[in-house]
Amino acid sequence: MSDYKGDRTTGFASPAADAVEGPIDLADVLDLRRPSRYPVRLRGATFRTRGIMDGDILIADTSGQQISGQLVIASVSGVFVLAELQSRKGGWWLISGDDMREPVRVDPALDVEVWANVSGVVREKP
Amino acid sequence: MTIYGLIDCNAFYCSCQKAFDARLKRLPVVVLSNNDGCAIARSSEAKHLGIKMGDPWHLIRDQKKLGEVKWFSSNYPLYADMSRRVYQVLTEYTPKVEPYSIDEMFLDLSGLSGSLSERCETIRSRVEQITKIPTCIGWGASKTIAKLANYIAKDRPELEGLCDLTDDRVRERYYRNLPISEIWGVGRRLVPRLNSVGIRTIEQFVKADPAQVRQIMTMTGVRLQAELRGVSCLELSEMADVRKGLASTRSFGRPITCFSEMAEAVAGFAVRVTEKLRAEKLDAGHVSVFVQTNIHQRSNGWYANQASITCAPTQDALTMIGIVTRLLRTIWRDGYRYSKAGVQLNDLAPCGRQSSLFDKPHEQTSALMTAMDTLNRRYGRETVRPAATGVVRSWRPRQDMLSPRYTTELSEITEVRSF
Repeated sequence: MSDYKGDRTTGFASPAADAVEGPIDLADVLDLRRPSRYPVRLRGATFRTRGIMDGDILIADTSGQQISGQLVIASVSGVFVLAELQSRKGGWWLISGDDMREPVRVDPALDVEVWANVSGVVREKP
Repeated sequence: MTIYGLIDCNAFYCSCQKAFDARLKRLPVVVLSNNDGCAIARSSEAKHLGIKMGDPWHLIRDQKKLGEVKWFSSNYPLYADMSRRVYQVLTEYTPKVEPYSIDEMFLDLSGLSGSLSERCETIRSRVEQITKIPTCIGWGASKTIAKLANYIAKDRPELEGLCDLTDDRVRERYYRNLPISEIWGVGRRLVPRLNSVGIRTIEQFVKADPAQVRQIMTMTGVRLQAELRGVSCLELSEMADVRKGLASTRSFGRPITCFSEMAEAVAGFAVRVTEKLRAEKLDAGHVSVFVQTNIHQRSNGWYANQASITCAPTQDALTMIGIVTRLLRTIWRDGYRYSKAGVQLNDLAPCGRQSSLFDKPHEQTSALMTAMDTLNRRYGRETVRPAATGVVRSWRPRQDMLSPRYTTELSEITEVRSF
C-alpha cells in the first residue's frame, strides 16, 4: 500500500506538498467520536415524506434537550421508535410520521421515554 | 488541598445491556464470565433474587424463581466502547481522569469552582443521560477515602449516589462503624490477622500503632493509615504504564484432547497477541506457551506445563505461529483433557530495535500483516486469519447468549421502528 498523498513525487517536486488535506472523514462530519453519538438503523417508512427511508442510518444524540418539533428516538413499551416530539397541552407527545397513529404521551411511568434526539441521517446505498 | 473523587458505574455490564434493549428496563439481568461460566455482573433486580457474584450458571439457570432473568454472555467490545464514552463525558467536567478499571475512574476534583456536591450531581446526571449508565460518586482528601466514600454512596440509597468525606467529623463518624474489610486493599486474608490484634473498625485501624500495622501488612498498611487520615500518598495517574508483557489465554468451550486442535487454538492466540503487538508498535523477544487440564476435575488425571524461548524480536503472526507450535510440541502429552491454554509475550520493545548483533536486521511490519490488520479493522475481527488457526474451531468458548455489538459494528447497531 502506498503512502502517496499528492505530496512526495520522485521527479518534479509537487507544488501541493504543503497543501495536503486528505479525504473527507464522515465520522468527523457526523461527530461520531462524541460520547453521545449512537448510529441506529431505521426500519419502516412512515417518515418517507420527510425523506427518511427504510434502512437509513440515523445518528442519535443523547446529550440534547427536549425541543418541540425535534425528531427523537423513544422507547415505547420496550421498543425503540423514531417519532416527532411535540409539546402539547402541558406535556410531551410522540407524533407518527404519516399521522396514521394516535399520538402517544411521553410518560416514564407508562414506559414511554425519550432516548435520544436525531442529529443526522446517512444513506449508504440509495 | 487535593480532592480525589471516585466514580463507579452501577452493575456496569448489565447497565450496558440495558442501555440498548428497552425491554430489559425493569428485568433482572445477569452477565456471565467468559465461556458462559458464572455470574460476573448482576442488575439490582438480579441481586434481589439472591444471585451472587460467581454463581455458576449451569447450577442456577433452571431454578424456578429465576425464570424471568435475562442472561447474557459477556460482550467486551460493547463494554469497552461504553467505558470510553463514560471517560469522555468525565473529561468535560474535570481536567484529570484516571481510568482505574473498566467501570471505575478516579477524578481530580481540586480547585474547581462552585459547590462540589452540585458538580458531582451534574457529572452523575450527564453520564446517565449520555451513556444511560447509572453511577455513584464519592470524594475526599485521598484516593483511599474516595474509594470508601464511593462504597458508602453505593451502599446507602438515601445518599442518592453521592458521598462527601472531605469533612473530618463526617469521616470519623463513618470510620467508627465501618469494618476494616471496606478499606481499599484490605483483602480477605488480612482481615482475620488484623482482627486478632483487636483491629476491627476503620477507626481502630487508623489509630493503631504504625509499627504493629507495618508488621502485619508492611509499608502498604502504614500508607493506608495516612491516606485514611487525609494525607494523600497515591497520586492520580492518567495513563496506564507501558506494557511489560502481553498475553492471550482462553478456557475452552469443551476439553481439547487432540494435538491438531490444540495447535489451532494456540496459533489463534499467536495471531491475536501479535495483532495487539502491532497495534502498539511493539516487538516481542520472549515467548511462552502454557496448557493445562481442569484443576477441579483431577479424576481424569491432571497436567499443566509451560515452555518458553527467547527469539529474535518479532511482531509477525506467521513467525509467531511457527514459534508457538514448536513450543507446544515440547509440552503436549496425549491422553489428557485440556481445558485452558495461552500464549504470553515478554521482553517487549518498540519495534525495529535490533537487540542482538547476530539477529537478522528487523524488517518493517510486512505488507501482509498490514493488509491483514487493515481488512480486520474494516470488516471486523478475524475477517482474514491464517489457516493454521483452524476452520471448524468447535473448542471455542461458549458465547451462546451474546447480544449485538450495538456501538462498534455497523451490521449490529440498534434497530428503531418508524412511528
